[in-house]
Order: sequence, then C-alpha cells, then structure tokens
Amino acid sequence: MNTASWVLIASEAWSGALAMVQPLGGAVTAVVVGPRELADEVTASGSGDVLWLEPADGVPAEAYAGTLAAIVAAAAPRVLVSTYDPACRVVLGAASAQLHARLVPNVVGLAWAGDNVLVQRAAVGGATIETLSTDGPVAAIYAGDEVSLPARAPAPVRRLDLAPAEIRILASEPVAVATGLDDAERVVSFGRGVRAKDDVALVRGLAEALDAELACSMPIADDLGWLEKSRYVGRSGNHITPALYMAVGIAGAPQHMEGVRGAKVVAAINSDPDARIFQTADYGIVGDLYEVIPALIAEVHK
Amino acid sequence: MKAVVVYKWARNAADAIVRTDGSIDWRNARMAAGEDDPAALAAAKQIAADTDGTVIGLTIGDGDASWALARGVEQAVCVADAPNLADNGATAAVLAAAVRYIGDVDVVVIGDSKQEPGVAVALAGELGWPALVGLHSASMPAGQLQAVRRTVGEQQTLSLSTPAVLGMSAESDADQVPGMKELLAARKRPLTKVTLSDLGTPPVDLVSVGCRKPDSTPSRLFQGEPAQAAAQLVAALRAEGVL
Ligand SMILES: Cc1cc2nc3c(=O)[nH]c(=O)nc-3n(C[C@H](O)[C@H](O)[C@H](O)COP(=O)(O)OP(=O)(O)OC[C@H]3O[C@@H](n4cnc5c(N)ncnc54)[C@H](O)[C@@H]3O)c2cc1C
Ligand SMILES: Nc1ncnc2c1ncn2[C@@H]1O[C@H](COP(=O)(O)O)[C@@H](O)[C@H]1O
Repeated sequence: MNTASWVLIASEAWSGALAMVQPLGGAVTAVVVGPRELADEVTASGSGDVLWLEPADGVPAEAYAGTLAAIVAAAAPRVLVSTYDPACRVVLGAASAQLHARLVPNVVGLAWAGDNVLVQRAAVGGATIETLSTDGPVAAIYAGDEVSLPARAPAPVRRLDLAPAEIRILASEPVAVATGLDDAERVVSFGRGVRAKDDVALVRGLAEALDAELACSMPIADDLGWLEKSRYVGRSGNHITPALYMAVGIAGAPQHMEGVRGAKVVAAINSDPDARIFQTADYGIVGDLYEVIPALIAEVHK
Repeated sequence: MKAVVVYKWARNAADAIVRTDGSIDWRNARMAAGEDDPAALAAAKQIAADTDGTVIGLTIGDGDASWALARGVEQAVCVADAPNLADNGATAAVLAAAVRYIGDVDVVVIGDSKQEPGVAVALAGELGWPALVGLHSASMPAGQLQAVRRTVGEQQTLSLSTPAVLGMSAESDADQVPGMKELLAARKRPLTKVTLSDLGTPPVDLVSVGCRKPDSTPSRLFQGEPAQAAAQLVAALRAEGVL
C-alpha cells in the first residue's frame, strides 16, 4: 500500500502540518519554497527528504505551482498536505488536480482505516469535527495548531531549479504603522458594547490599570472612527499574540477572533451569557461593562 | 476580457447549530452568498471596466442564481444539480467544467473563503491556469492583469498573465444590497441552467463517517456581583501569570 506523504511549506507555520503526517508511518517528503533558512529549519526536524526551491527575485512562490505540481504528481503520494498559506494552497490545488486527489480543507488529523485514509476536518467554523473516509489520494489543508517538533539528525536538502510562470511582484510596500500592539504583553480591546465615544475613556482607564495596549473591533475603527484603523483586531486588521487579550463588549465574530488566535489567555466581558466570545474565551465575566470595568480597576489597584 | 465571477448561494454555516453529538442542524440556516463573493464581484467588474469586457456569473447548486444578476452582472450560468460536496476538488471540477462550457474565458474571479479554502486553488489546478489567492483587489490597467494583497505589515502588487484564476478575500462586509429595481431587472437577464450530465462530470466525494464535538476546555465564567466577579477574574489571571 502507498503510504507516502508530501508536505508543502512556503511560510513560517509548518510544524503542525508536518507533525500531522508523521503518525501515518510512511515516507515523508517536504517541499520548501522560500529562503534557505526555512529549508534548514525543516531539515532540522529530520522527518524525511527535503526538496527546496528558492524563488527568483521579484517572483512569488505561486509562479512555480505548475512545475512543482508535476513533480508531486510524478511521485504520486497518497497524502499531500499544505498549510493555509496562500502560496502553499496554490501549489496544493495544482498538484491535487494532477493527482486526482480528494481535496479537504480545515483538516486537523489523519489516520488509516485499513486501506482508507480517515480525514478529520473542522466544520461549521470549528464547532464540530467531521471524519471523512476515502480510498483514494488525499490533499489536505492543515488547520490545526503549531507544535514543537523534537530536533533530529538533519535530512539532506535537495535543491530544485525550476522555471517560473508569468507571475511577478510589481511592488511591495510596508503598511503597518507602529501601534505597539505587535509585541504587547497585554491588550485591552473593546467593541460595540461601548455605547458612546466619551466612554472610550473608561476602557482606556482599564488598559492603563493593566499596563495594556488599547485595541478594538473593526466597526469601532471603521464605522465609528473612535480609534485609529491601525488598532483594530481581526482578519483584515491586526493579528496579535499577547499573553492576555481582554475583550470588552465584543461579540466574538469569527473574523474578529482570527486576529487573536495566537493569544495565550483570552478574557471576555460581555452582558450576554450566550455571546459567541464565551465559546472561545478562557475566562469571562457575564456583566455590564459599565459596572465591571470600574470594579476591575479597583481590584487591580488593591 | 471575458471574466467569470463564481459565487455561491447556499446555507450560511454561521447560522447552523451543532448538536451535542456534533451533528449539524441546518434548519435555521438562511441562504446567503459566500462572505467573500462581494469582493470577487467587485474585482470582476473592475477588470471588465478596465478592458471594456464582460462579466458572466457562475454558480452551482439548486439555489437562487439571481444574486449576481441583481448586482449588475448581465448573464449567468448555473449548474443546478451539483450537490454540496465535502471535496473542494470535486466542487472545483464542476466549476472548471462550467468555465470550459462558457468558453473563451480570460479570467475567473472567485471568493477565497475561509470555510472552503481549497475551491479557488483546485479550480486553477483543474483548469491548469496560474492563480493567486488571498487577494484584496484586482484590475487590468494597460492590458495587464494586476492584483493586490495585504499580509501583516506588507502590501504586495502582483501581475500575472491570462488566463488566470483570482481568489478574493473580503476585508469587510462590502455587499451592496440591491433595490427593487435591480431585483426586477435581474429577472429579465439571461440565466442558463446546465446539468452535470451536460458537463460530463459526475462528482465523486468522500464518505462521512461521523461528527464529534472538538475537545476544548470550556471557559470559566464569573457571574454575579461586579466586585466579586472582578476579584475572581483578577485572581485567575494572576494565577495564569498574565497580570
Ligand atoms: C469579510 C469580513 C471581514 C471582517 N473582518 C473583521 C475584522 O478584521 N475585525 C473585526 O473586529 N470584525 C471584522 N468583521 C466584522 C465582524 O463580523 C463583526 O461584525 C464585528 O467584529 C462585530 O463587532 P463588535 O463585536 O464590536 O460588535 P457587536 O457584534 O455589535 O457586539 C457587541 C457586543 O457587546 C455586548 N454588549 C452590549 N452592551 C454591553 C454592555 N453594556 N456590557 C458588556 N457587553 C455589552 C453585546 O452582548 C455584544 O456581544 C468582518 C466582517 C466581514 C464580513
Ligand atoms: N455550491 C457552490 N456554488 C458556487 N460556488 C461555490 C459553491 N461552493 C463553493 N463555491 C465557491 O467557492 C467559494 C468558497 O466557498 P464557500 O466557503 O462555501 O463560500 C465561494 O466563494 C464560491 O465562489
């Protein structure tokens, strides 16, 4: 039985995807598209062959999707995994079509059931995990967390030299303005539960008491303009990794929570006991922020 | 340029309820377009405007195909009997067959959705076309297809040759809800219904063997008097070492 797995890597987050195929027990091949250092990191995990491709200057990784797909298809692995990274996914899509694989997104686990592959995928925004079975090749987009892999004897790196398709980077500009959110230890963030612009001072007081940076949900910055746009958190805003994220009057929409996936502890204050944010927060206070914030400030100063 | 905009009209996963055994109750889920579809439509329209070209809508499934027609798209194609598939590759194969059926297409613009992040890339793979996904806008100034994407801290402008697939990611809820006039106009616009047998692509899918709730630690909720709840939360956060 073909038990070979290939893993596509084009950005920093790759350890979870690699760790997911290791228990399958077959030969593992990693394809790294990016700088040499990335290939070296993957190699140090010692989990099998590493093929490395360095994109030419001004050429994005996606330009190599067609030629890389042909290499993957020629090896015909049973399992092909990519991360969510856009470039990785483009390579996965090209290779999956050539392999005639079943392409499953949001995958968190893989296992054998006889000759079948069992694929566990998160559905309905992660509220349930569905197990799917197939007797054919599988292309999976990994959606689990990163893990720490033990260091092992490095595998050799084989360099690939491929011609790119006609895709070019015309311009690359930095966008973020320094807000201090990026490396903040603590962040206090507020949403539409705050009723008036003048009340922002109350939340700011809590941020000061906790020695935290101040952030907000998208509508606060975009629709109401109560805080700079550079300070909202979420899919299209900041992606932050504080030790503490305290969300005040924020409903917890999935687009918002995407921005704090890397937070260590999430605490929420919301008057609605059924607020979505309580499904993902580690701690919560069910209560009116106008009463809870003064109480919190008083408690911290005790 | 002949641009195809792929959109979806299906039950909104955000409204689905997961039962305690992990199974999904879709009964209260409203029909909705994909969250990223308005961004895809905006990009397709921009490309058509820049090139004096046309936009054709494409959707699959038995839903209402008028979403794009009511938003200014002149004609649409619907693969009415395509089922909802777990395999993003199979969904993409149906879409690719429909793109070939439409014929002479220069660019396909599609929502690069968080829930189904394999559809756009597998569609490019099925067509054998270059692709970029996670894009925020697209245009075609001076005959060259261009796309913009923002990652944390960086904005990139890229160019690519046609034919190509562009996967668009919405940055906010940018849907323009059409008025009565547009809805009436949509009814008069041509909608071509095709079937899987017309396209010759019977989809194969994976077999579902069950659902379970993810193992997550429930959040610790403090209720009651604000002062007491605040004291409990501060104590818990200090114990975690984050205060
Ligand atoms: C494509 C797309 C991208 C998006 N990207 C982002 C993004 O990057 N970031 C983002 O934040 N959003 C984003 N959104 C919007 C997102 O879907 C939500 O609409 C938004 O996050 C809601 O903001 P909110 O929680 O502040 O407001 P609401 O949803 O109005 O929630 C307010 C909350 O405050 C609570 N509340 C009310 N009064 C009180 C009180 N007195 N005390 C305590 N609690 C109270 C309520 O119970 C409620 O839960 C995006 C949407 C789309 C469609
Ligand atoms: N049933 C469908 N009909 C048409 N397009 C679809 C369908 N399923 C997925 N897609 C396309 O794939 C993208 C991602 O799907 P989704 O996450 O379900 O919104 C959508 O933006 C659609 O353009």
